[in-house]
Amino acid sequence: MALLPSCLRDSGKSSIALTNIDVSLDQEHLLGDISETIIPETKTPGAKSLNLHLFTLKMLDDCYEKEDQKLFFEGLDELQDRSEAKFSRSFQKLTVPEREQLLVGIEKEEQAPAAIKKFYDIMKSKTIEGYMSSKYVMTNLIVWELVPGRWNPYYPVKSA
Amino acid sequence: MSNINIDSQKTNTYDVIVIGSGISGGWAAKEFTEKGFKTLVLERGRDVQHIKDYPTTNKYPYEFDHRGQIPLAIQKENPIASRCYVFREDAMHFVVKDNEHPYQQEKPFDWIRGYQVGGKSLLWARQTQRWSDLDFEGPARDGFAVDWPIRYKDIAPWYSYAERFAGIAGNKDGLQELPDGEFLPGFPLNAVEDYFKGVVSKKYPTRHVISARCAHLSKPNQIHLDQGRAKCQNRTLCQRGCPFGGYFSSNASTLPWAAKTGNLTLRPNSVVDSIIYDDEKEKATGVRVIDANTKQEMEFYAKIIFVNAAALNTNLILLNSKSNRFPNGLGNDNGQLGKFVAFHNYSARINAEYDGMLEWSTDGRNPAGGGYLPRFRNLLKQETDFKRGYAAGFSARRSVNRDSSGVGASLKDNLAKAPLGPWQVGSHMMGETIPKEENFVNLSKDKKDAWGVPLLNISVDYDENDRLMKKDYIEQLSEMFTEAGFKNIKVNDSSQAPGLDIHEMGGARMGHDPKTSILNKWNQVHACKNVFVTDGACMTSTSTQNPSLTYMALTARAVDFAVKSINKFEI
Repeated sequence: MALLPSCLRDSGKSSIALTNIDVSLDQEHLLGDISETIIPETKTPGAKSLNLHLFTLKMLDDCYEKEDQKLFFEGLDELQDRSEAKFSRSFQKLTVPEREQLLVGIEKEEQAPAAIKKFYDIMKSKTIEGYMSSKYVMTNLIVWELVPGRWNPYYPVKSA
Repeated sequence: MSNINIDSQKTNTYDVIVIGSGISGGWAAKEFTEKGFKTLVLERGRDVQHIKDYPTTNKYPYEFDHRGQIPLAIQKENPIASRCYVFREDAMHFVVKDNEHPYQQEKPFDWIRGYQVGGKSLLWARQTQRWSDLDFEGPARDGFAVDWPIRYKDIAPWYSYAERFAGIAGNKDGLQELPDGEFLPGFPLNAVEDYFKGVVSKKYPTRHVISARCAHLSKPNQIHLDQGRAKCQNRTLCQRGCPFGGYFSSNASTLPWAAKTGNLTLRPNSVVDSIIYDDEKEKATGVRVIDANTKQEMEFYAKIIFVNAAALNTNLILLNSKSNRFPNGLGNDNGQLGKFVAFHNYSARINAEYDGMLEWSTDGRNPAGGGYLPRFRNLLKQETDFKRGYAAGFSARRSVNRDSSGVGASLKDNLAKAPLGPWQVGSHMMGETIPKEENFVNLSKDKKDAWGVPLLNISVDYDENDRLMKKDYIEQLSEMFTEAGFKNIKVNDSSQAPGLDIHEMGGARMGHDPKTSILNKWNQVHACKNVFVTDGACMTSTSTQNPSLTYMALTARAVDFAVKSINKFEI
């Protein structure tokens, strides 16, 4: 993936070149924290070191309608509001369990408002997509083969 | 053209001109150059050399910016191309963009094209089945189109000839409706595909599920190694171009083979305007070309011209080849050129789940794609309220039920596991459509492309026969799925436009009678004997088989005839 650093931009702007959306460096860091909550670093790399938040921004920039992009950032603001309302602190200042509680709360909320729901759906699905198709996962965990060189139509497995 | 002098005639003269470098043009080039004929292949698109020009072929999924997805802006600029399954980040450079090559649609028609050396042979689904006499006798038996001027015995040796060189994987299934060929080992069915085959053969003695036959080197012979090709490595990334030459394409096979003879001149970026007809000599003498980049006009000359521009573009070139003798297009004395266009009806699919055979999964990948169910309706006699019938694909794969709920370390753990779920099974319909005069292409009266060639105007639609046939496919496959114990059967009756099947055929059909057809039994224009058409435009009817293998065989057969005719001074 070509994520070109935009060194010449003002320091308050996102670290990657984006065409359709306007993202501040603060927002980028916040998205990094949210993605790290979804896929944390354990014994293996997590979202931040795999740049999954930057992948999410790239996809949001190129593959979503304007309306979805607008809802995404409204939803991001709403998440901060919820953090302040519930814990009197911004998302970045929360503990990991608090961050998880906030995100899972949105996932479980049946009638979540449109913006925060859209934000969460895009953020989570793209973080997972970026993770599952990352070089780390595809070469270490669930190996994707460029040249399988075989077709075994009857591959025995334990029945469920 | 008054600006042509004797010198340019000399340097621009060949024995043969082949228009188009796709699957049939590549075959024409191979056959003529092998027989010692200086052959010029004109390709309107850019050059694509085997391996060298497959930029994505060895990329991993994470090397694509959008993991394969086409960015929204490109989708919006290319609504037609975007509906094609190969228009993804890894192969979009091989698909024509909508606005670069516009056409007119009187009715919705998704015209999918590949303007480059190799054409759509780089992108095709590689399914290869022979026709039988049940197909060739179809129009005569069922009273539509005109009688095919050939029968199975005429083409059978040429099927063998094409198969041996191209390399076709398949099993000898012994079916009257799908003759066996010269096969490399077939790609075996998996547990549930085999199971379904068993259920079907028990309940429906005249229906057969077989391993799909495909143009892959499952076990190459010397002739394939001599082409510089190697065993298929089961990558199933074929649409990117294969660095092993594991599947058949003009780029991997016929064109380099033709080049090795020293008799091939390949000219990319050569948009053909028309074929030049000489009223005095009473034959075609060459081809008018516009250089795609410089837009310079030029002419090339030859004794024989093969038109292999892909079905609809072949119609366009012939229609645009106007002369005193042929004011309505080359060979179009009867006004039928461009009419009786047909296609394959791919507009229905059925998906379901199966929770048996859970002790099996699969490993590696199957380039054949799974199973194939040849036409069984109206096979030996008329028995339904619609004419003809459909073939169907059938495939099964084991699903993976990942738990992606929640967030954090537990989610991460769950994503690393791949618990197997039930089998997902699916089928798609490949219906024969009936060629009709109302389904036609002609030239735009007022619009031209960037090279001054009239735009093609397309007017093709489904009819009542297609609707009745689709209903039957849905009923029959649903019943067969139910019989097999498949659950959650879901029918996808899509409204996809004709064209997306990428099996458009006809317009310059073969026939016995010059009054009702454009080509004779040798693919030779009735009224202009040194012009041959051996791509999809020649098809009198469509049957249900994927057509490319038949184009290969017809091309080799027509070249053989043309060469014999030259030697007898008949053309």
